[in-house]
Amino acid sequence: MSDVQKMLEVKNLRKYFDTSAGTVKSVDDVSFDISKGETLGLVGESGCGKTTAGRTIIRLYEPTEGQIIFNGVDITNMSSRELLPFRKRMQMIFQDPYASLNPRMTVGDIIIEPMIIHKIPKDERKDRMINLLRRVGLNSEHANRYPHEFSGGQRQRVGIARALAVEPEFIICDEPISALDVSIQAQVVNMLEDLQKELGLTYLFIAHDLSMVRHISTRVAVMYLGKIVELAESSELYENPKHPYTRSLLSSIPMPDPIKSDEREIIKLAGEIPSPLNPPTGCNFHTRCQFCKSDCEKLRPLLREISNNHYCACPFA
Amino acid sequence: MLLEVKDLHTSFFTQAGEVKSVNGVSFELNHGEILGIVGESGSGKSVTMLSILKLLGTTGKIISGSVKFNGRELTNLTKNEVEDIRGKNIAMIFQDPMTSLNPVLTVGYQLKESLKRHKIECDYQKRAVEILERVGIVPAETRMKQYPHEFSGGQRQRIMIAMAMICNPDLLIADEPTTALDVTVQAQILDLMKELRENFNTSIILITHDLGVIAGVADRVLVMYGGHAVEQGTRHEIFYSPAHPYTHGLLRSVPDPENFKERLIPIEGQPPDLLNPPKGCPFAMRCPQAMKICLEKLPAEKILSDTHRASCWLLEKEEALKNV
Repeated sequence: MSDVQKMLEVKNLRKYFDTSAGTVKSVDDVSFDISKGETLGLVGESGCGKTTAGRTIIRLYEPTEGQIIFNGVDITNMSSRELLPFRKRMQMIFQDPYASLNPRMTVGDIIIEPMIIHKIPKDERKDRMINLLRRVGLNSEHANRYPHEFSGGQRQRVGIARALAVEPEFIICDEPISALDVSIQAQVVNMLEDLQKELGLTYLFIAHDLSMVRHISTRVAVMYLGKIVELAESSELYENPKHPYTRSLLSSIPMPDPIKSDEREIIKLAGEIPSPLNPPTGCNFHTRCQFCKSDCEKLRPLLREISNNHYCACPFA
Repeated sequence: MLLEVKDLHTSFFTQAGEVKSVNGVSFELNHGEILGIVGESGSGKSVTMLSILKLLGTTGKIISGSVKFNGRELTNLTKNEVEDIRGKNIAMIFQDPMTSLNPVLTVGYQLKESLKRHKIECDYQKRAVEILERVGIVPAETRMKQYPHEFSGGQRQRIMIAMAMICNPDLLIADEPTTALDVTVQAQILDLMKELRENFNTSIILITHDLGVIAGVADRVLVMYGGHAVEQGTRHEIFYSPAHPYTHGLLRSVPDPENFKERLIPIEGQPPDLLNPPKGCPFAMRCPQAMKICLEKLPAEKILSDTHRASCWLLEKEEALKNV
């Protein structure tokens, strides 16, 4: 019964958006699973579908096709009433700590709101809220203040406290640190790690800061134009990338070390990312791939296991 | 010496009071040099640049200090005199390429605008095509007729760079030019900036919060905190022998490339409130090594080598403690 260990299974998930210009295949046949207590990093460049994937998994968007299995239960087609108990168990932390908090609510009310929705008994709410504030490094006096009185890092702490308010098991962190200053990023990442250890949380960590993803993730999945091109244990992926896109992406990470930075070679990508309205045939990376062969234009490569737990969607890897 | 900023103080006058954004910043820039400026939001790095160009709006004001560009004092120039310099001798590119271009004018029109303003004697069309090709936007003639929304983020930032470079300025100020871009595009833009320096000997000031970007392109680095220049040195000095505890903390708060799983070491606390700036060192409140004097008196700049300077009481511990 290996499935018992799985917090989340995503099978052949697709999310298409119909626009006046045509269908955008934001998430196109994506499959992965997340075990209990692990952090799966989801990386890729803007427009690759990583945020859409996260939002579809939590059912903020209706999936076009595929299955989302949470703790062994298929939640793909549940009505919002059926979904409510599951929403309590999965929460989200958003990228922009300025836009994701209601400016007209006090911080205390912001943290209590999910408790009201999920019918936490009234007499417990306030104590819980104050404990949460302390847990994220703020204090009880902050409860009566409004979001604008806080810095970006403090607001992100409020967003984390709100996500924790209903004691979820699974949290989707959508670029939780990219709007924060470097000196504050480490504070928030350490806090997320401590919370995970204490509360046994499972994370889907969506980000484009590749070195922070390497630090926090157990495994990492790389997306390009709506598809996962490579997935492996974090150290394996960074030390031994197999897909040409992953290689190029990793070689472009700026290194905070002048000598290493001068020595390394960046594998440059030719051209621009193709429009998701009109993705290339075959392997969707073939237009920019330096190893492109004639078959790549015709055959759509599948994500296959190339070594133990290392999956790659390039037939030549 | 191309640019010399000395003891610059800039404040904004808001309803809540005077915000002292820049508090005595000094630095120099040579011809053909790339200076990286790092610091967090509110550290005064952008305001220092806007002061150089006198783009402070109605609420901002240079309180004191001097900005010498090619030997000429800029702080007391009139509006017209500064406008003659902006775009021609000093050009600036901004963080967000989505909002810095005018959406209702063609790229070609916007490119040629600054040639017209400065009455540069040349064939405008030819010069615009040339510069657009230089930054890799091809076929230039066709693309000049297009509008900003027809380009990707990386292409728009290239267009911004082309606009900035069209009058062949001596100084290019780039304020977080790659922050909004993906890493693969960022690598292309940084390469382009290095090429400009090689080919035209353009001096570049690169503002960023990404230490990796600085390590890759800057010759020298200026570290700002709470409106002060707390440390400056060559990139080797800053990355391999940082002298200020803030620089040290900043370098330690990113994942260690040798040991990615190691717990991060953050700088605790929050940046200072510049409406009520601290009396002593701006970093004292968050500094793990702060002493009594740090909270009371601002440290003087200590010269550590020909190129390396830092302002921290720890660097003059003995003398400082004698005077307390």
